[in-house]
Amino acid sequence: MSTKVEEKKIQRIEDILNNDVWDVDYEPHIKVDYNKCRECKWKPCIRLCPAECYTLVGDEVLFSYEGCLECGTCRVVCPENAVEWSYPKSGRGIHYRFS
Amino acid sequence: MSVINQRFDAIVIGAGPAGSTAAYQLAKMGYKTLLLERGRTPGSKNMFGGRVYLQPLKDIYDDFEKKAPIHRWVKKERISFIDNENSTTIEYESTKTTSFTTYLTQLSGWMANQAVNQGAILLTEIRVDKLYRENNVFKGVVVEDEVVNADVVIDAEGINRLLLEEANLVEKLKPNQVALGVKEVIKLDSNLINQLFGLDNNDGLSWVFIGNLTNGIPGGAFLYTNRDSISLGIVLMLEEAIRKLDKHIYKLVEEFRIHPLINKYLKEGRIMEYSTHLIPEDINSLKPRKLYYDGLLIVGDAAGLLLNQGYTYRGVDFAAYSGYLAAKAYDYAHNNGGPTSDNLSKYEELLRNSFIYRMLNKFSGVTELMKKERLFNTYPALINELASRLMHIDYDSYKIMEAFKEVKKGRISWLTLIKDLWEVSRKI
Amino acid sequence: MGLEIIVGIKWVPNTTSVNIDPKTGTLIREGIPSVVNPHDLTAVEMALRLKDRYGGRVTAISMAPPSAIAGLEHVIGMGVDRGILASDRVFAGADTLATSYVLAKVIEKIGDYDLIIMGHETIDSSTAHIGAQVASWLKLPYIYYAKEIDYNEKEKSIMVKRILENAFEIYKIKLPAVVSIAMHTYEPRRIKISNKLRAKMENLIQVWTSKDLDIDVNCAGLRGSPTVVSAIDFVPKVPRKNEIFNEKDPRKAAKWLIQKLIEEGLLDP
Repeated sequence: MSTKVEEKKIQRIEDILNNDVWDVDYEPHIKVDYNKCRECKWKPCIRLCPAECYTLVGDEVLFSYEGCLECGTCRVVCPENAVEWSYPKSGRGIHYRFS
Repeated sequence: MSVINQRFDAIVIGAGPAGSTAAYQLAKMGYKTLLLERGRTPGSKNMFGGRVYLQPLKDIYDDFEKKAPIHRWVKKERISFIDNENSTTIEYESTKTTSFTTYLTQLSGWMANQAVNQGAILLTEIRVDKLYRENNVFKGVVVEDEVVNADVVIDAEGINRLLLEEANLVEKLKPNQVALGVKEVIKLDSNLINQLFGLDNNDGLSWVFIGNLTNGIPGGAFLYTNRDSISLGIVLMLEEAIRKLDKHIYKLVEEFRIHPLINKYLKEGRIMEYSTHLIPEDINSLKPRKLYYDGLLIVGDAAGLLLNQGYTYRGVDFAAYSGYLAAKAYDYAHNNGGPTSDNLSKYEELLRNSFIYRMLNKFSGVTELMKKERLFNTYPALINELASRLMHIDYDSYKIMEAFKEVKKGRISWLTLIKDLWEVSRKI
Repeated sequence: MGLEIIVGIKWVPNTTSVNIDPKTGTLIREGIPSVVNPHDLTAVEMALRLKDRYGGRVTAISMAPPSAIAGLEHVIGMGVDRGILASDRVFAGADTLATSYVLAKVIEKIGDYDLIIMGHETIDSSTAHIGAQVASWLKLPYIYYAKEIDYNEKEKSIMVKRILENAFEIYKIKLPAVVSIAMHTYEPRRIKISNKLRAKMENLIQVWTSKDLDIDVNCAGLRGSPTVVSAIDFVPKVPRKNEIFNEKDPRKAAKWLIQKLIEEGLLDP
């Protein structure tokens, strides 16, 4: 469903992202070394990835690439160098239309 | 690795505003130009705040105002100091205009199309994996297991600079060098936009917000009117965001959207798109040591050529103009013995003599200034309280200085205030 | 020698991103970019693998407005040799019957072919008609849900391994024939810059209109389409619940999950 904005409450990130278009690649363009995440105290990716690709399951980081907006923030903020980052191939990934 | 038996004068990496403009100018001067874009269409990976300054683009493209995908001409500017439920707004309105709103996705597409019309070859869905180098001279690009050769490579890969990093020309980005922009585009009927913001047809509003919208993190918020949508978003300095942000960043955008000052305009709207991008913030430390090498020029965000004016950024015209100058520099080098580093240093000279370096020098202190918390916490609160004392009257009215002294008390000393005022007026 | 292969592709809206307007209840189509139907990319990959093994040529065909040239360029980028786009106003509004008619006419005009490969179905309508209908128009044998194809050049035949729910079937078929490929059988290969460059520099895509084809206009487009959409209903929105159970021991987690599903009446105890 598209997001009505008249509601004066914060939407869920899933509902906001639902307005975007991807052609999701069949292999991830980003790889995360979870062993390094375990060492990480701050885990800034959790709060700073605008697409919330990084979530906490218990105290473990879980990464999914499908909703990635390809901004590069996770790579820059990761204090442990756990993010092996690149862009998707063959025209896959996010397809902005109105930005 | 197989080498493709097609040789180009120039390969441009990235069909954003910098790359497309470079390709346009190169093709226009008759060079065999290959423009490579990793997205499905030029612009499909681009994002920005919402406003573009006109004049530099007019210098590059013929009939730009008539032909480019312009949404609205900015004739109304607002700056709001915002503090919880209160805000104080300064509004400036003019019949003249120097900037417009658009979608960068459209503008980049248009620019790439101009390049194609001039004879450039545009290949989409191509992600360049590496700059190709022989004996320290850049000679082309690597895509998967294939090499394409060119006389010069123009790197317009954008802020993340994976290629320059791989080639050891820049270090990995650091959080203190960039800001993070996140925005929502909200569909709204164009007549309703005119009505709500008091705009005539095709006239636009640019609105920046300073205050506590950013979780106490240096940054700000913005709103632009497009033809039939609103772009609104926030910008955070990343280093401070890592330390201080205590909730998910998208929530800041949403809190901004439902802020009483904003939400009243959006009742009929629906979100069309949510997008995000890193923004060069501290240009001095982010700029590569050099922007010209044997066979290589660096333009746009990759070169850190974006102006941080404090309350707003200027990126698209800077990027496009740097692409334009890079094309000119290659032309010079080509006619003077080839694209050696020496000859391509013409690019640096052209930048130095243009508004780009003039402005970057002029605004060089801004990043440091914007880190001052008082600017977006103390002062907006102070301004709003002052306004409240002066405007909300029951029996007794305040004199201005009387109100000011009272709201200033405990917040800030006269000395700090004067120092800050002096610094702001000097740096912005 | 090798195989002359024709592969059909459809240029479809990226339906993973189609939303519904909350006010009007209609689909929001504005700005939805098109993609090559993903299941057709599987068919293209199969065609290219056959070409890799046996040599020959792969021709991609499509019926669509001119914007679909981008889709043909995409598959040429993967390694397809050339593209033919049937594009004409009189083809507009076609259902699967009228579409397969025009595609069959395109194939007839190409003339020289051994094998026609189609995708399983499309993501925007999911009828899975086109393969069978093209085969009917051309009076060719048709096999679907194919997973593997081996070519016997001497006999001019193929062995096709076909995947069923819990079995394989193997058929031997004389060429020419029509085969549609089971979805998700192969991931499409990456686009090569040399191929994309060829698409731009050498005229590899032809656009054929109704005049180029021997077409009975009563069989094409809206006129040739007996299908009537009588109503569209939306699937009612199912209320979702979520609950997170943090447990490191997978046995305990599984037990908890089973218990929950039983409580919800989704599993028999």
